[in-house]
Amino acid sequence: MDFSHLVSLFPVFLFLLILLYISYRVQRTSEEARSKNFAKDYFIGGRTLGGFVLAMTTVATYSSVSTFVGGPGVAWQIGYGWLYMAIVQVVVVFLVMGVFGKKISLVARDIDAVTVIDILRARYKSDSLCNLAAIFIVAFFCATMVAQFVGAAKLFEAVTGYSYVTGLTLFGIIVIIYTTIGGFKGVAITDAICAIAMIVGMSILFYCMLDKAGGYGAIMNHIRTNDPAMLEPLSRGKMPISLYISQWLLVGVCTLALPQSIVRSISYKDTRSLRNAIIIGTVVIGAMTLIATWVGVLSKGILTNPSLAAYGGSVDNITPRTIVSVMSPFWAGVTIIGPIAATISTVSSLLLTSSSSIIKDIYMRALEKNGKTLSNKGIQKFSMAATILLGFGIYFIAIAPPSVIWKINMFAFGGLETAFFWVMIFGLFWHKANGTGALWAMFGGVVAYCTTMALHIRLFSLHQIVIGIGASLIFFFIGNAIGREPDDDVKKLFFPDKFGDD
Amino acid sequence: MKRSEKFRRANHEAKVTCFATLAVIVFWILAGFGLSGLDIDLFDTPIWVLGGCIGTWLFAVVVAFWLAEHVIQDVDLQEEDAARVRAAEQKGGSR
Repeated sequence: MDFSHLVSLFPVFLFLLILLYISYRVQRTSEEARSKNFAKDYFIGGRTLGGFVLAMTTVATYSSVSTFVGGPGVAWQIGYGWLYMAIVQVVVVFLVMGVFGKKISLVARDIDAVTVIDILRARYKSDSLCNLAAIFIVAFFCATMVAQFVGAAKLFEAVTGYSYVTGLTLFGIIVIIYTTIGGFKGVAITDAICAIAMIVGMSILFYCMLDKAGGYGAIMNHIRTNDPAMLEPLSRGKMPISLYISQWLLVGVCTLALPQSIVRSISYKDTRSLRNAIIIGTVVIGAMTLIATWVGVLSKGILTNPSLAAYGGSVDNITPRTIVSVMSPFWAGVTIIGPIAATISTVSSLLLTSSSSIIKDIYMRALEKNGKTLSNKGIQKFSMAATILLGFGIYFIAIAPPSVIWKINMFAFGGLETAFFWVMIFGLFWHKANGTGALWAMFGGVVAYCTTMALHIRLFSLHQIVIGIGASLIFFFIGNAIGREPDDDVKKLFFPDKFGDD
Repeated sequence: MKRSEKFRRANHEAKVTCFATLAVIVFWILAGFGLSGLDIDLFDTPIWVLGGCIGTWLFAVVVAFWLAEHVIQDVDLQEEDAARVRAAEQKGGSR
């Protein structure tokens, strides 16, 4: 076996073992909490997250392989306009925490909510809505998880020389195991370590790139001479205003609605933690986005052929080829910990939220309606089984990979945003919003979004998220007019400021 | 603090957060597109890149800090757990 291959494998392998160990430790220390209330510990960490971990898990879950592979690849093509667009993501942390964090946390404790759907159920009292929400979560999350695995495995193959399936098996199996045993707290803590790895990995790449190319000035000179469009915000047509507006919605404002971010708002231990997380999270997400995407722009100075065809015809090849060009196998191995960490931190969070939807939101609810309950031990068995089985399902799908990562991710991304945006906002802030409105908004919006995405229909050259969110809004009002007003107990629970304290 | 007061406060904080986001958007436009007309380079980089990218990030951090320290108020969340337990006991454990 080629020694250089082994050398590039070693850092990643060590990193994964550390995460596995941490999850094991979390499982050991959680034994008591799990014996009392398994669901609460496993799915929401007992609501004990501190500010730093809360910030890092929110950022790590949100940042995916596209932040580190697809995104920088597009930046190589387009230039600083792509960085300018990517930076809109700095609002993502304070937006979800400032708008939803407090209110959701207050309600969640009143009803002992463990999932986002628990909150929807208490608010809208509609099993149809909750089942639909669970289906969308599982379906879209599965698509996202496959895309993540594909991206990371391809990167792994390109950098280490080991086969796609080898890389996929290595980190795929390990993330499935550590998610299953660690639960929410395990995922949150490993996420925090992954976030640090992401920044460190890309910083090393940044440094090596500048070193290899003869300095920042040299690269900028090269860009100025060979592709000056990269220095303009509109990139001479490649980065139109309509795309900026679309991205402000897709990866900016509408991220408010992502259930994987909202669930983290339920998990913190006190408002001091929330406030700390807002600051830390904003610092980190900005730093991560800047470093990763700037690397992409500057890789123009390393991969100097202007044609993408020279690099395999896909933007996903840019980051791996840059890494291989500027680093020794060992440092390349260290650097790819970053993008792989981004992948597994996202997968671990989505996997756990998916299994919580299947077990708590669908299965346990179905049992409840038939007058049955699961024992604590039963919840443990089913939850862990669901996590591991779903995880392996994703792994097997990812072995025969679909096409471009970025598009797949965005399809699921926009779909989730469309499904939950108005349902959550009106649910928490408009006392007249009822279950019928919410159901229409969720279903109608997603159908409109997916249809127009599939048929490439656009409104004013804007991304279909505009159509999805717009349609969802209209459907909400129509459905709401048909449905009945929420019950008094719901109004008192969610709007005590209007309907009096108990 | 009464429950209604906590919720009123949370509504206020949500509203301010929305305005804060708007402020970041405006800054982003001015510091990026706004500066792109000037043909100036700083540290070998067009000034709109520094303003629109690094500038927006720093502005967002300031906004986040302001939200966390001056807008979002600490409330006792543990009270909510206790209230729920009391309510459950009153209703005889049914929900």
